[in-house]
Amino acid sequence: MNQPNFTFVQKILALSLLAAFAPVHASDEVDALVKPDSSISVGVAAVGGDNRSLVGQYSGLRSGGSHLLLDIDYIKRDDESGTWKILQGRDLGLDNRELNASYIKQGDWKLSAEFNEITRHDPRTINTGMLNPGTTTPGVTSLAAPGKGYDLNLDLQRKGITLSTEKWFTPNLQFEASFKNEDKDGARLSGRGIACGAFAALRNTCGAAAGTLLPNTNTAMLMLPEPTNTSTKQFEAKLNYSGEKLMVSGGYYGSFFTNSNGSLSPTINGNLWNSNGSLFAAPDATLKGFLQQPMALPPDNQAHQFSLTGSYAYTPTTRANFKLAYTHATQDRDYTASGLAGAPAGLANLGGEVNSTLAQLGLSAKPMAKLSLLANLRYEDKEDKTPLAMYNLTGLATIPANFYTNTQFSSKKVTGKVEANYQLPNEFRAVIGIDYQSVKRDRPVNTTVIDGLSALREDTRELGYRAELRHTFSETLNGGMSLVSAKREGSNWLSVLPGAGFPSVSDAAIYNRYGAFPMTLEDRNRDKLKASANWSPIEAVSLQFMLEDGKDTYTAPTEKGLRDTGMRSYGVDAAWKLSDAWKLTGYWTQGRQMLHIDHSTGYLAELENLNTAVGLGVVGKYSAKLDVGADLSYLNDNNRYQQSMSNGAALFGGGLPDVKYRLTSLKLFGKYALEKDADIRIDLVHQRAKLDEWTWGYNGIPFVYSDNSSVTLQPNQNVTYLGASYIYKLK
Amino acid sequence: MKLLRQAMTGFLLMGVLGSVPPALAADDLFLNGDAKCTACHDEGDGPDLLLMGKTKHGTNADKRTPTCTNCHGSSETHLKGAGKGDTSPLPDITYGRKGKTSPDARNGACLSCHQKDAKRMLWMGSQHQARDVSCSSCHQVHSGKDKVRDKRTQPDVCYTCHKEQRAQANRPSHHPVPEGKMGCSDCHNVHGSAGPKLMKRDSVVDTCYTCHMEKRGPFVHNHEPVNDDCTICHNPHGTTAESMLKVRPPFLCQQCHTPHVPSQALLYGQAPTPNNIGWNGASVTQGRACLNCHTQIHGSNNPSATNPTPQFLFR
Repeated sequence: MNQPNFTFVQKILALSLLAAFAPVHASDEVDALVKPDSSISVGVAAVGGDNRSLVGQYSGLRSGGSHLLLDIDYIKRDDESGTWKILQGRDLGLDNRELNASYIKQGDWKLSAEFNEITRHDPRTINTGMLNPGTTTPGVTSLAAPGKGYDLNLDLQRKGITLSTEKWFTPNLQFEASFKNEDKDGARLSGRGIACGAFAALRNTCGAAAGTLLPNTNTAMLMLPEPTNTSTKQFEAKLNYSGEKLMVSGGYYGSFFTNSNGSLSPTINGNLWNSNGSLFAAPDATLKGFLQQPMALPPDNQAHQFSLTGSYAYTPTTRANFKLAYTHATQDRDYTASGLAGAPAGLANLGGEVNSTLAQLGLSAKPMAKLSLLANLRYEDKEDKTPLAMYNLTGLATIPANFYTNTQFSSKKVTGKVEANYQLPNEFRAVIGIDYQSVKRDRPVNTTVIDGLSALREDTRELGYRAELRHTFSETLNGGMSLVSAKREGSNWLSVLPGAGFPSVSDAAIYNRYGAFPMTLEDRNRDKLKASANWSPIEAVSLQFMLEDGKDTYTAPTEKGLRDTGMRSYGVDAAWKLSDAWKLTGYWTQGRQMLHIDHSTGYLAELENLNTAVGLGVVGKYSAKLDVGADLSYLNDNNRYQQSMSNGAALFGGGLPDVKYRLTSLKLFGKYALEKDADIRIDLVHQRAKLDEWTWGYNGIPFVYSDNSSVTLQPNQNVTYLGASYIYKLK
Repeated sequence: MKLLRQAMTGFLLMGVLGSVPPALAADDLFLNGDAKCTACHDEGDGPDLLLMGKTKHGTNADKRTPTCTNCHGSSETHLKGAGKGDTSPLPDITYGRKGKTSPDARNGACLSCHQKDAKRMLWMGSQHQARDVSCSSCHQVHSGKDKVRDKRTQPDVCYTCHKEQRAQANRPSHHPVPEGKMGCSDCHNVHGSAGPKLMKRDSVVDTCYTCHMEKRGPFVHNHEPVNDDCTICHNPHGTTAESMLKVRPPFLCQQCHTPHVPSQALLYGQAPTPNNIGWNGASVTQGRACLNCHTQIHGSNNPSATNPTPQFLFR
């Protein structure tokens, strides 16, 4: 064998080996890019700080100390059959864990199951002497002084399971079904209170105070945690057809709420404190009796909806879509079984029934290359068929025995819009639109009584106009501006004097010019301006600017109530790609909202919210093995409660102080590739929150309930989180 | 020798073919028919482009999945100009900032398949469609992990345009969005819905009831806004006031109701209010404010017609 032949054989062998194995290496590289990733992440987090109640609301980290960090991503695809097996777990070591398992044959069928739980830890701590808090029979036990009881933290835990399936019978016909059950357990901060003589019912029935208003002994307020042990079930099934032109989906959605608790019946052990700082005297047993009456907890209810949704393409650019839905909702929780007595004779439950019909039709078309048109019409009819019975009692004796019926709330709502979008010369685009909404509410029946409102209105209608202009100035700069103007008006106001049949009255004849009228029914003028621009001064930098300004003005035949609201916000977002490995981002947003409300006989309130949000972030690849990132954010939210007295008098105490919330957060992470299949990730978060509020106390004086229970929240909270995880990439 | 050469050649071919996934043609890299593009845009040229193979788009056994040209067009001029660097014409349909492709054309490529999904039936005419939002404005198709499809990272995508919500979500009273336990899409169907504000169900209240069904009633004593629109009182994106109330009571309530405390809103400790519960301005301002007494604000199913009656939502 001569040398050339040997060389040839060597070359062939080498090429063959390369062909056999080099592509395997290439294939490995490609596989790493195209095969789904699976990994398991295990680690530990340490949480420290003086108080974690704000950051710990939902994060599962309220308790501080150390926590197991466990995430799973098992995602396998069989390339031959297109079948997926997925198991994903998030935060499995915390009380807000989620676990999802799916088995899917893509384009054919899908089965999935999901479990999730989350606990809301109320950030506020209650100090109380209550017995059995969070049950349906709590025992109110007065403390000798505020802060002398035990600390009570309230939690609400949700646990949910969702099962869902999909099946494609043909390429055009799909069936989907899902079932979700969620149980909610725990308690939330609630309470009850009464000021005898303050309510419009038969007045002054609090024992010795009958016929008079004695603020020191007629009023009591209790902190009562609302016990929660409920279940929500939702079932949905749909059959979806998608043809060349017609797509339609028809289905059923059922939702069912059940509550294991029917009522809350507190017992008051001993006496309560009054506003003079002394215990109520014996005659206030009547007041105590009121406070011990059972409170209704949310009743079981259910709804069944049938719907048909779809679209039809007349041409490739002209399409209509629609939705029809009918919902039958009922509520028939038994009163007696709920521990609620005193129902009108012969009634075991409300027999509540509300039937809703929805019809929606939309049309979008492009009659010319430069013109797009859009129209939408929506009709909703809510028919309240709940039986009427003499549930209501007021002090105004018009109906025999002062009894009135409950109220049915039926309404018909029509919403529509028309919009045209036209491409103008020189890279301008104009959009004009008209929006319309009308609501017709049924006039209450003569036998009912409307409490707490000065007037009602049957009809309201709102007509709005929109105009928008967008312009592309250059390849690197574009922007737009839009204006919205809308006006809401309505029918004559209805007098709500009981027993009068809710007659329509002229504005001049309205009986109460110093009452607050419902803001959702008042006339309203709305004007809004919005502008935005996108600019890339250089290839690597993009800037986004926005400005929004709006004002609503309300009018009604009254001098009081909501007068106007306003908002303004502006800001800029920036992104700078420093290199292929590093990127900087940032944002700054400033907002202001105003609200002007006049008290009927007291103060004029000018509320204002000022907020600033700033963020800076960097992510990058420090080396081939090390990814790092940092994120700094700052929020300053300031709520002002400026008041003046309508009679020109000075404000007591100088008015309400501001409520301020400030949050500064620094998040750092680093992810280092220990080896090809394993990373380690470190997260460090430091958060400083400050909530300066007077809700539960001011200037060292707590808001106390009549049993001296009080509520607190540590205003300054500095929390540090350090987490380290080992991430193993499964093969 | 001839036999050896044939064997070697056979081995060579086996090596080449053996490296190709069986579902693919010999010259395709990861998608059926991708050779036209991956001849240049392979793992060396653009590894990130191949990450799409990890997703549902990369499931070749599903014959509905696309190849490059389904989304980018046949791009003949781009092919002819291949290798000319930055001067090479772009593909027919592009999705990046440099691209001239209209939003309709971009979305058309996606909708040709995805409009069959019932969740996107109402895309045409929806707010996002009418505002020229492209699918690629939110979705990263060539990424193995699409940020907007993970609720932990989804809000950041939405905040790109919805900046006001970014600040609101960080206020103390919020849904668990910053904690990554809820995403925007838990309430909104951004691909078009029959509800206002792209709500997932047909109305705001119907969407809220999916998690807060205890508020649905109907009750013996209803509070009408509860069945009309939760956002009359609540800002679900976050507030500094408790319970995501848009305005702190009593001011919230006084937008509709005539106050029945003849006093300014004030605090215990501000003269002349005493420091304990009583019938005064502080009792309707602090604690749960108006809700200290009107505690069943979402409705009461108490049928009692004895005084004090539950119609004032006391009990």
